[in-house]
Amino acid sequence: MRIKSRWLAILLAMGLVLAACSPTESESTTTEGDAPATTEGDGATTTTGEEPMTIATDVGVDLEAGTITIGLLSDLSGQYSSLVQLIVAGHEIYWADVNANGGVSGLEVVVKALDTEYLADVHVQRYEELKDEVVAFGHSTGSPQTVAIIPQLEADGILAIPLTWYSGWSDPAYNNNLLHHGASYCIESMNVISYLKEQLGDAATTIAIASVPGDYGLDSMEGAKIAAAELELEVVYDGSGAVIPGDEASFAAVAAGIVGADPDIVWLTSSPLQYGPIFGQALAAGFTTAAWSGSGPSYNPAFIAPDSAIKDAVAAMTTWGYAYSVWSDDSPGTTAAKELLMASGRVASPVSAYLEGFVEAQIMHAALQAAYDAGDMTQAGVLAAAKSLENVAFDGLAPDETYVGTPNEQLQRATNIWRPDPAGLADGTHAGEVVVESGYVSDLAAAYEFTGACYQLS
Amino acid sequence: MWPLMRGRPLLHITYGSDQAMLNTGTKKVMTVLFVVFLILIPFSIVPGFKFLAEADWLRLLSTVCIFAIGALGLNILTGLAGQVSLGHAFFMGLGAYTAAWLGAAPGPLVGMGLPIWIWLPAAGLVAALVGVAVGPTAVRVRGLYLAFVTLGLVFVGEYLFRRFDNVTGGSQSGRGFPKLEVRLWKEESALVDFSADGPWFGIDLTSQAKTFYFLLALTVVFVVFAKNLQRTRVGRAFQSIRDRDIASGIMGVGETKYKLIAFGISSFYAGVAGALFASFVGRMIPEAWGLFLSVEFIAIVLIGGAGVVSGALLGTVFVIVLPRLVEDFTSWLAAYVVVGQGAFVWLADLFISTGIDDWGLVNTQAGVAPGLGVAQLNQVLYGLLIIGFLIFEPLGLYGIWLRIRNYWKGWPFTY
Repeated sequence: MRIKSRWLAILLAMGLVLAACSPTESESTTTEGDAPATTEGDGATTTTGEEPMTIATDVGVDLEAGTITIGLLSDLSGQYSSLVQLIVAGHEIYWADVNANGGVSGLEVVVKALDTEYLADVHVQRYEELKDEVVAFGHSTGSPQTVAIIPQLEADGILAIPLTWYSGWSDPAYNNNLLHHGASYCIESMNVISYLKEQLGDAATTIAIASVPGDYGLDSMEGAKIAAAELELEVVYDGSGAVIPGDEASFAAVAAGIVGADPDIVWLTSSPLQYGPIFGQALAAGFTTAAWSGSGPSYNPAFIAPDSAIKDAVAAMTTWGYAYSVWSDDSPGTTAAKELLMASGRVASPVSAYLEGFVEAQIMHAALQAAYDAGDMTQAGVLAAAKSLENVAFDGLAPDETYVGTPNEQLQRATNIWRPDPAGLADGTHAGEVVVESGYVSDLAAAYEFTGACYQLS
Repeated sequence: MWPLMRGRPLLHITYGSDQAMLNTGTKKVMTVLFVVFLILIPFSIVPGFKFLAEADWLRLLSTVCIFAIGALGLNILTGLAGQVSLGHAFFMGLGAYTAAWLGAAPGPLVGMGLPIWIWLPAAGLVAALVGVAVGPTAVRVRGLYLAFVTLGLVFVGEYLFRRFDNVTGGSQSGRGFPKLEVRLWKEESALVDFSADGPWFGIDLTSQAKTFYFLLALTVVFVVFAKNLQRTRVGRAFQSIRDRDIASGIMGVGETKYKLIAFGISSFYAGVAGALFASFVGRMIPEAWGLFLSVEFIAIVLIGGAGVVSGALLGTVFVIVLPRLVEDFTSWLAAYVVVGQGAFVWLADLFISTGIDDWGLVNTQAGVAPGLGVAQLNQVLYGLLIIGFLIFEPLGLYGIWLRIRNYWKGWPFTY
């Protein structure tokens, strides 16, 4: 006993010493700092282009070492970790390729991802850890978590790309330091429901809606309600926020509610962990006539085993929308991304979530390049450059984005509509996702006037 | 008298000195030095501990202060009065939402915009009142049964917090909480704002340093109260109930009364800690006040050492800071793998998994390589530590400290 406790004490002390060493090492990345950018006046005289520009830097850009550090606030162990891990891998693979091909004007990009566990308190703590090391945040996982760091982002003048498609990001009250992308959950609902109504025509007159609580589910529900009202679909069952994660009884209640209402369209927004049981229970109750859908993150092919009893029904009955491309898409942007992903040796099974990492990284790339060209790679400089990006083009990997103009001009209204492919589900490669409509903008979404978030996160 | 006392710190010849909070000279000196050390942390001048002045470490230390208040509360109930409680998170949530109701700015959700000197004590009081109200149920049972009764509280709370979404913001959405700032009443600019950088008494301080000082001051107050409680009539009654409730009843200690007081005081601590935590983070979802938070506090008390104030403090530091140390250690090892040379490469190779085919305990490529993520490793360590302490050192870190102290007291003799 005596000896054991002594060892424990020694171990503890060693831990403390180690902790003392590591953060101080990473201090050396700053400096160069406060020298003002002097390119304005003499810019016209040195037109040879040979003369290196003076680049202003403060945090996260080290011109001597030739590195740019960007941070990722990632959910690596929380409830969305199965998707976010792939998105982080997407970032790393994208930047590895950029670095191999000369980096951002010669500067190598280093990605530093920390685990936020999908908890607001950990998220804020991680933000503090990274903010003195990185020039910007390549993503910030989760809406409530991102809202929690917005006051700090604004105080510190740092840019972040939210990894959530909450409709409120278009609101100027939130948007000062964010660079959101893709159609919101709300607009995605309008698009996919419009598409289903278009396909089904007069055969569709009723809809059942249900979701998990929180901004994700409820934002999607608001969009579905707008769509239902405009398309004259009667809402025969409303389970907004009724699917409680981890509560099996609530799944059964929602499944029973859907089956009892006998709708033509089911719009169910949750995570695959809830979608599967509810879909399965409705099937088991003999309800096989409706067209099923829901916000993109409700579906994950990795959750459907090749011998799953519901895989044929999933292929036959569901239609989905994504803010970015799907794996089987063959646009130049998606093809290039897929080639890099497969060459990396890190992709165990091809899933579209990797592509989201590429989309985020490409937005960050555009912002960093613009900041470099403007000669200001400080945190504030990158933010300013990002907020003046007129067009970020993805070559089909995602709908193009613009970050200038009014919220309505910036609003992304396009969704990629796709359906699972039975062959891909059966052989377990999960590659089978068939795009049925690329960059689809419904009349509803096109006419939608943004005046505020569909669901208000108060 | 004094010359006789010198060198015999354990010889107490008055009741007062025997019962003093710091009953030896060494304790007094060490306490003063420790407090001075804590105050100096943000100035980054203590050799070996300069890194603690970084924003993220100060934030971690602030979290330690908040959790220490919560842990002291549970320590009074579980450690001092011997009543197991899994409901601590519920009382923290109650405190947090009381703070939000009274202190948050009016908006779509309820909020009255009152200053901190109202919402912080109120958070404690409301939690304490509810604690006393559920106390009678808890008084009728003990041990494992009490654990289940209090476990029920967590689930009732989870439902209530989800149900009353005009206060809590609703499941998975959450709400904002009042900022840590001092106002006299509802005036525009705060008297003292802990969330803005700027000078205090001519000394430039960051917002993290200010927040740390504020929370440290509160923690000291709660520590002194908890420490003092132990030597009062109430504290001794708690301990007698813990050690043998029937015997203490025969001696005339009113079991019901003191158990209710214990629940009340413990819930007050929890309420204040919850309000501070929510305000400190700025935004919380109702799910945050779940069973895991309760378990975290039980772990703190068990690892630190039940029934001892310094045990609760040690436990808090350990449980809050350990994940960060594990993480730093892992990334330090991972750096070796990248560089590929150095004394610890063999260890890094063994420990870290870097690709799909590379097996190791911890992976640096989450979801791609086999092995545990750092967060998962932390959870495993956490569980192992609780088991380990329960089996090998029921007195917790405090017990280890006692043995280290006694070893040096007797040094070079074993006994």
